[in-house]
Amino acid sequence: MIGATGFIGLNVVDALQARGVSVRATWRKKSITVFAQKRNPEWCLAELDDTVALEEAMRGCDVVFFAGGHYPRYSLDRRASIERGRADVRAVCTAAMHADVPRVVYTSSIGTLDGSVAGPVNADDRTVDPPRESVYRATKWAMEEEVDFALARGLDVVTVLPGACLGPWDVRLGTTGVLVALLNGALPWWVDGIVNVADVRDVAAVHVAAAEVAPRGARYAFGGVTTTMRALFEDLARRWGVRFPPEELDVAAAYIRADVEEAAAAPRRGRVPMPRELVDLVAWGRRVDSSRAALELGVVARDRETTLEDARQWLERMGHVPRRAEATAVRSRNSAESTRGASAHAGSRKR
Amino acid sequence: MKNETAEERRTLVRETIAELLEVDVATVRGDCLLREDLGMDSLTSLELLSTLSRELQVDLEMEEAMEIVTVDDTVRFVERHLAV
Repeated sequence: MIGATGFIGLNVVDALQARGVSVRATWRKKSITVFAQKRNPEWCLAELDDTVALEEAMRGCDVVFFAGGHYPRYSLDRRASIERGRADVRAVCTAAMHADVPRVVYTSSIGTLDGSVAGPVNADDRTVDPPRESVYRATKWAMEEEVDFALARGLDVVTVLPGACLGPWDVRLGTTGVLVALLNGALPWWVDGIVNVADVRDVAAVHVAAAEVAPRGARYAFGGVTTTMRALFEDLARRWGVRFPPEELDVAAAYIRADVEEAAAAPRRGRVPMPRELVDLVAWGRRVDSSRAALELGVVARDRETTLEDARQWLERMGHVPRRAEATAVRSRNSAESTRGASAHAGSRKR
Repeated sequence: MKNETAEERRTLVRETIAELLEVDVATVRGDCLLREDLGMDSLTSLELLSTLSRELQVDLEMEEAMEIVTVDDTVRFVERHLAV
């Protein structure tokens, strides 16, 4: 498992261990390993540019899950992002070939798919050229091209293309960061469009099933539940009693705002509430056809309520958002203070 | 690593924080607040705890880790786990 310390990786490890599979996991010096340590995998130190260590880690494995490739947390340097993404995939695929790994399951993104086709997009709707308008999508597209090269060289690779993942163990607060911002009243703006929200545990199940039964070279898009940002935020605001984010931007304005905020956050490695790659996915805004994953792998999306509630529980446990009892108490206190303030104000006016 | 002295462990904590935050170790004093004084965010806190748990070979509980506020808290947190 490459990427065992990350969001999808931790959930794939859980899914594998639930099936009694023993897991060997690579880690990097900057990995957040505290959560994966609880799963007690067999650890191997292997940076992604160290093909020797990767090959050693892979030797004897039945399957290599590669969920730890470059994730552009900032969309500020297109060329560097693409180069790094390509290098990561090349290194892993080369090591897998040298180690005679029977199969690699590679985690990509629905963002690589063609947004211009009519109707829902499926995993075969690919573009000839990388997307111009999105560093995130172009990076993921380039990484898939490296997978294609490895397939052509004889490696057995199956690709999983998940939608925007939500659920437990989003250690680095990827998509789940939007929930954190919303629950903390710190989401100043948003952009509307179609989003495909996948429960990360369903995505993990797709990975495991793909390892077991998919034909060589198969691709599985898994969008989960398709909705719009507006509908999602309305649901969350109603469900959790939080403020609906105040400022709606059109896509062009959202691009600019996200870029400016990322440029400000990058020097301190900060994460912005509405990252550029999420704006890119919303702007791409296509309904994803996940039927191949259902028909061939038997994985269907669980209901959105379970995903959202479990994601929130995990965020509460980690202290990213107030626990519900505290949130209610704060709201009550604010309400009481507001009433007292209004009374005092009314009183002063009387005087 | 468990056989290191308390002072060595204290140095390790300070050096790890300095390396993660890319600051001079001299600025990482015991009474420094991790967030307010050193600018450590939740992600870097997790990186810190991951590094310490590997270096010192201790098993850390994340819920307890959230109570760490200062550099000295981090040292005490590590000492507590080593004593178990």
